[in-house]
Amino acid sequence: MTRIDPETQIPDPIELDRREEERLRAAAGLAPSPAAGGEYAGFDTVGIPDRPPQTEREREVYTLDEGEMLVNMGPQHPSTHGVMRIVVKVRGEIVVDVDPVLGYLHRGIEKLCENATYTTVLTYVDPMDYLSTMHNEHAPAIAFEKLYGVKAPPRAEYIRALVVELNRIFSHGLMMGFLALDIGGLTPILYSFINRDEVVDMLSAISGQRMLFNFFRVGGVNWDTNDEFLSRLGTWRSHVLDNIEMNERMITENEIFRGRTLGMGRLTGEDAISLGVSGPNLRASGVPFDVRKAHPYSIYHELEFDIITQDGGDSYSRYLQRIAEIKQSIHLIDQIIDKMPHGPVQAQVPGIIRPKPGRAFGAVESPRGLYSVYAISDGGPNPYRFRMRDPSFISLQAIPKLMPGRLVADTMAVMASFDPVMGGVDK
Amino acid sequence: MDWDLLLGIGRFVLATTLLLLLTVPTAFIIIQMEMKIIAQLALRYGPNRIGPKGIFQSTIHGFKVLAKEDTVPDQADRSTFTLAPWMVYMAAAMSMLVIPFAPGAIAADFNIGIVYFFAVLGLSVVGLLVAGWASYNKYSLLGGLRAAAQMVSYEIPLTLSIVGAVVLAGTLSFSDLIQWQRENGWLFIWQPIGLGIFYIASLAEINRTPFDMVEADSELVAGPFTEYSGMRFGFFFFAEYVALFIMSGILITLFFGGFLAPWPFPAQLEGFGGTLYGTFWFFLKTYIFVAIAVWMRGTLPRVRVDQLMNMAWKVLLPLALVNLFVTAIAVVVLDL
Amino acid sequence: MADLRRSRPAAHALGRGRPLSAPVTAGALVRLLHERLGDDLRELWTDEDTVEFRIDRARNVDVLTTLRDDEDLDFFFLADAAAVDYGTDAHFEVVYHLFSWKHPAWVRVRARVDRRDPRIPTVTTLWEGAMFHEREMYDMMGIVFEGNRDLRRIYMSPDYRSFPQRRDFVLPDDAADTAVAGVSPLERPETWDLARFRDELTRSAAPTAAPSPLDTDAEAGEVAASESRPR
Repeated sequence: MTRIDPETQIPDPIELDRREEERLRAAAGLAPSPAAGGEYAGFDTVGIPDRPPQTEREREVYTLDEGEMLVNMGPQHPSTHGVMRIVVKVRGEIVVDVDPVLGYLHRGIEKLCENATYTTVLTYVDPMDYLSTMHNEHAPAIAFEKLYGVKAPPRAEYIRALVVELNRIFSHGLMMGFLALDIGGLTPILYSFINRDEVVDMLSAISGQRMLFNFFRVGGVNWDTNDEFLSRLGTWRSHVLDNIEMNERMITENEIFRGRTLGMGRLTGEDAISLGVSGPNLRASGVPFDVRKAHPYSIYHELEFDIITQDGGDSYSRYLQRIAEIKQSIHLIDQIIDKMPHGPVQAQVPGIIRPKPGRAFGAVESPRGLYSVYAISDGGPNPYRFRMRDPSFISLQAIPKLMPGRLVADTMAVMASFDPVMGGVDK
Repeated sequence: MDWDLLLGIGRFVLATTLLLLLTVPTAFIIIQMEMKIIAQLALRYGPNRIGPKGIFQSTIHGFKVLAKEDTVPDQADRSTFTLAPWMVYMAAAMSMLVIPFAPGAIAADFNIGIVYFFAVLGLSVVGLLVAGWASYNKYSLLGGLRAAAQMVSYEIPLTLSIVGAVVLAGTLSFSDLIQWQRENGWLFIWQPIGLGIFYIASLAEINRTPFDMVEADSELVAGPFTEYSGMRFGFFFFAEYVALFIMSGILITLFFGGFLAPWPFPAQLEGFGGTLYGTFWFFLKTYIFVAIAVWMRGTLPRVRVDQLMNMAWKVLLPLALVNLFVTAIAVVVLDL
Repeated sequence: MADLRRSRPAAHALGRGRPLSAPVTAGALVRLLHERLGDDLRELWTDEDTVEFRIDRARNVDVLTTLRDDEDLDFFFLADAAAVDYGTDAHFEVVYHLFSWKHPAWVRVRARVDRRDPRIPTVTTLWEGAMFHEREMYDMMGIVFEGNRDLRRIYMSPDYRSFPQRRDFVLPDDAADTAVAGVSPLERPETWDLARFRDELTRSAAPTAAPSPLDTDAEAGEVAASESRPR
């Protein structure tokens, strides 16, 4: 073991960083940074980039008129559903423009998956949209099964649909809690977590994990149902409708909640389609687009359900849409439990599959919208290109469109009603 | 040697010392109540480690606040940054001078006590505004401005709502008001609308949910208090809960008989026994209303700033004026 | 820089997917596409639920406008816009996936983009939601979308100067371990030379004798142990 001389002066890393930054800025020809007391010292330049704006839109957002200021709802924030920075240009309390800055949670999953076997990819995609893990795994499983040319056995498909609907239920339940929390009610979030806890205990009985269930495999699922899972499922099913109704009653009829969400962030159907918004957000604006009905995958063509839409398009409609979808999912789970066949739960697939060269597209309906995977295989054990299209990422584009003209306080409420999850946004 | 004057001064000094000492355990108790009641509402346990059933958690919070590092932002205005918590706390403490805890147990028995009370309570707005500005932080600035707008707007319905009560009782002094209530029944029967307006306006005045936009922690982190830490934040924190106590105290004094028992005690005790009895009823009623405010915090979401202002100017103010006119006409016509 | 996957078959010549098994209406879609798009349509492949074809990159706005606005086609929803890098000696490809109520298949539109001059017209005029897709493609691959009002980086910081999802991208940390630097990973001496590694571990500042495991004399053993234990 090396001895360290007690007289060693360890230089202050912050000072070193500052000096390095100054040197690099001088070399690049930039002005000294505001923190170092450069030419903008004494002025508040939070949010204004210290380089010329690179694009038209950036110039538009970061040019301040009389009376406007940039407020950074910064990456550390109790309310942005993860690490996201929203630069809001406000005039007093009214929002003039919004610029979301992403990438704080970017983990390079797409590139990472190019070096992983197909089965490992299914574990890498879990933490993307970490509240809808099963959906994250379902889409790549569909794409890889198309590439490899294998079909999952019927029991596996039924189990897949079951866990996917359970995941949808607790994800929508959490949205209720988050929306209430962002508006100021401190209690519904805990009720949502109690609901989620019951479902998560159930799913941990079947998959061994509580959050990033590593459950799907190419060709089926990993484990069959067991006694604990089924008994928890039965207990849960007997009281879930009452629980959901009790929880939603506290919020849905609340005068203050309605005042904060009715008429807020009204998104028309055409705008939503143009922006690429999908899922409950799109259906709440009146467009009946549900991937489960549009391009049925798994066993959804055997299940009976309607597409629910609302005609408001505002935050309240998005909230009601999710409540309705929770009830619809419970109905779907009942049908699945009735119809589940016996059989194997995984096709005979080798550990490392080498699909023939080809391209495949697999799309599922995740709680946030259309979640799709475009996979290209080159014959090797790793995918050649693994592309995921996350719905929260695209839905975020609606925020700069909806917010101008509203108050700062509404930014959070409207964003919460779109229910983005930063893991998916940033991949 | 003017012994009376000296005695008066001595009594006053003693009373103010006791009041200032009272604020600390009051804040602690209310904070503990809040933690536990909201936890029960949220199906949680709340603090249950420090002390039996966690009753000393609040005290430890107090010590923690003392022990934290006191940071001042580099470019903040140091003197005003330090002054802001004092202003808010002193506004709350000074307004406690006129609260009647028991017959004869008021620190300063002004005959214009009601006017003094609302005048002094309004000084806390200045403190919040100064805090928002001096922090050199846009969040704080926005929060401070919201606070100023909200609190100033709600002062008007607040004071107007009790003018009806004042007109009925014919006095601006708290102790005379209680005397009137002893003879004529508690004022909440006479002035139900006034009570409603006063309750809503008082919650808005002290920035409690559902009107806590000022410190909306899901939007502006902590509003004007964002940059404060350690004991400076402690002052703001305590001032909020002391203000809650004070407002509840004034509510019951004005509308629910103050330190009076709900039934006329056969032989009204005088002297020390009467003081104790009155203090007991005062604290009981005050804490009932504090508990209701805490309950509301755990249940209701936040009202938005412009909806808040709408309500103050377009709903509460006209209602308060109507209440005042009706009361005045009734007094004149029915010769009350 | 060398392509790390040189031994694999060239990926841009990938073969067709599985044979068409969708009902007759997909055949109707193929006929309709040939009718409306005519010359723009090249290399049409069909899959179980997808019809894909290649177009020229200069024509992408026109083709997508036709797909979106034509009443019989009616592909109103842009499901995905992705970029693929087919290797340093090949090209990029921008891939659009579209959805329509009227047809039971997804449509995949592929446009080749030259690697040395990666430009392609933007489709944000057709779908506003393509903005983030294009920003991501620019950020990760370096493809420039002509006409895009806001083409800046979305995931990486604005002063980042590399394109992470390209095939020739290496992190500085990993560069020393790759074939690019001429060092094969299996040849790194610090990984495989265990004798040298063991020497490093046991060497310490004070010169000591190696401990004798068979030393039964307690006192001598203790002294020897304390002397030889690395500090």
